[in-house]
Amino acid sequence: MSFKPLILTVNSNIHNLELLNQFLNREGYEVISVSNSEEFHDTINQSFQINLGLIDITGFDSSIWQWCEQLRNQEIPFLIISSRQSAAIQSKGFVSGASNILIKPLVIKQLFDFIKNVLED
Amino acid sequence: MSLARLSTGIAGFDEILHGGLIPKRAYLARGGPGCGKTILGLHFLNAGIANNESNLYITLGEPAAQIKSNGAIFGFDTQAIKFLDLSPGADFFTQVQTYDIFSPAEVEREPTTQKIIETIETIKPTRVLIDSMTQFRYLCSDDFQFRKQVLSFISFLLQAGATVVFTSESSPETPDDDLQFISDGIIHLDNSPEGRNISVTKFRGSDFIAGLHSLRISSQGMQVAPRLQPQSFKQEFILESISSGIPELDELLHGGIERGTVTIFTGPTGVGKTTLGLQFMKEAAGRGERSVVYTFEESEETLIARSQAINIPVDAMVKNGNLLVERVEPLLLTHDEFANQVRYEVEQSGTRIVMIDSVAGYRIAMRGADLQSHLHALCKYLQNMGVTIILINENETITGDFRATDLGISYIADNIVFLRYLEINGELQKAIGVLKKRLSNFEKTLREIEITRYGIKLGKPLVNLRKILSGTPEWINQDDNNK
Repeated sequence: MSFKPLILTVNSNIHNLELLNQFLNREGYEVISVSNSEEFHDTINQSFQINLGLIDITGFDSSIWQWCEQLRNQEIPFLIISSRQSAAIQSKGFVSGASNILIKPLVIKQLFDFIKNVLED
Repeated sequence: MSLARLSTGIAGFDEILHGGLIPKRAYLARGGPGCGKTILGLHFLNAGIANNESNLYITLGEPAAQIKSNGAIFGFDTQAIKFLDLSPGADFFTQVQTYDIFSPAEVEREPTTQKIIETIETIKPTRVLIDSMTQFRYLCSDDFQFRKQVLSFISFLLQAGATVVFTSESSPETPDDDLQFISDGIIHLDNSPEGRNISVTKFRGSDFIAGLHSLRISSQGMQVAPRLQPQSFKQEFILESISSGIPELDELLHGGIERGTVTIFTGPTGVGKTTLGLQFMKEAAGRGERSVVYTFEESEETLIARSQAINIPVDAMVKNGNLLVERVEPLLLTHDEFANQVRYEVEQSGTRIVMIDSVAGYRIAMRGADLQSHLHALCKYLQNMGVTIILINENETITGDFRATDLGISYIADNIVFLRYLEINGELQKAIGVLKKRLSNFEKTLREIEITRYGIKLGKPLVNLRKILSGTPEWINQDDNNK
């Protein structure tokens, strides 16, 4: 496969990012990761094409929803990762355009299935 | 047993397993904390070192350095054991931030598996210890995965040619039934207030000695005293009578007591039961035979001293190796351990007479465990080995209603010899009689017995007395016999 989809991973926890990137790389994805708002805005304004966003909302304040809106405006599909099941997060997430909401801890195989689904759409 | 066996490094345990573990199988050692699972495992690994078998200790809980230093205390050659340390190091705790995006099962299983595979392929071990398999449970997302993982892990090890012992920490919260089904053999270790014990409940492809066996953990590691199985011992012997060395006593017994029989000497305190037993041993020593006295009440010194005073040279007999006086400390040994001591005496030292002094002491020393069945097993074993057994039984009552024994052990005996105090003409005298003798006839009358500085003296049969068993006999014809 010559074409490698680019995935943007957003996570406030460096260890999570490292792990996630490791797994995604192994699965054949390019990864660009950010852990704070500056990095996010820098990345989003670059010219390269992001195929998918993986947003772990844990550890961010409510501005995270604005980031999500931004992704939607740029027509980048994204998945939201949350540490708990909550109706408020669900509705906010879908309102801001998330393709799906995943609850931690993630099952690696499942995560890949979701990513594949979204990318194929 | 055609299959070659692999020693566990514990002699008594090999005996329970009828020779040892069957190679290239996986065995589960289970038990609560402090039961000796790790020590058992170290014995297993250490046993292979002498044969140049390669070994591997996979530790998932306790750090390797700690196992090494603890193992050295028990005398294990821990330097010769190869360790794969998968226990979490200190840095795991100091790294404050850890991941939460995936479950540890997802993240850590693969590197762990990889490490194990690499190590196995380099070392190619013959003996593998996994301590403990329970840890793998937390690396699997569910029970199904766990079982599948363990099964495939074990078959990987077995294909690599290893014999595997894996431990499991079982508790009501995390039962290990699944591991029990998977394994080829199950070893249970238990540590209860009554003592430690070990048992086997499953051993594919082999028989084993069932039931609980005593276990002791000392500075030499683990010792197992297998439960005595009398039926598995048989030794040919000539069923001859052994003499007491006192003609009158032999007359009373119509020749003496036979080899491979159980004789109970019963009577009240101080009447001369132990002395009577020692008399048989003195005579046996004259023939060059070895005897053992297990004394539960008296100390070795007093026994020797008072025997010397009545012309039984216990001291010399001990020196010549014809007698062993073994003081058994109460509450120290379990019945299995005691039985194994006796076995050693009989099988290694060729002992022909065993005396247990006394049955009540034996009962107390064995922590009140089922006296009859254990004593029965011990006596049956000794009988099968052709050993003459003398049991000393003390009756609570000095005179009064006659009872053979107080502890309900009469049925074990082939011969019952009783000693009594009699009040004759206001004088306290002792009498000896036979109540039962399975293999020959015996005198139905009583004889007077006296213990003097020249030894035991027996008088003529007391034929003209009646109500002897009451303790206050009367002359049948007072005038004729009153001397």
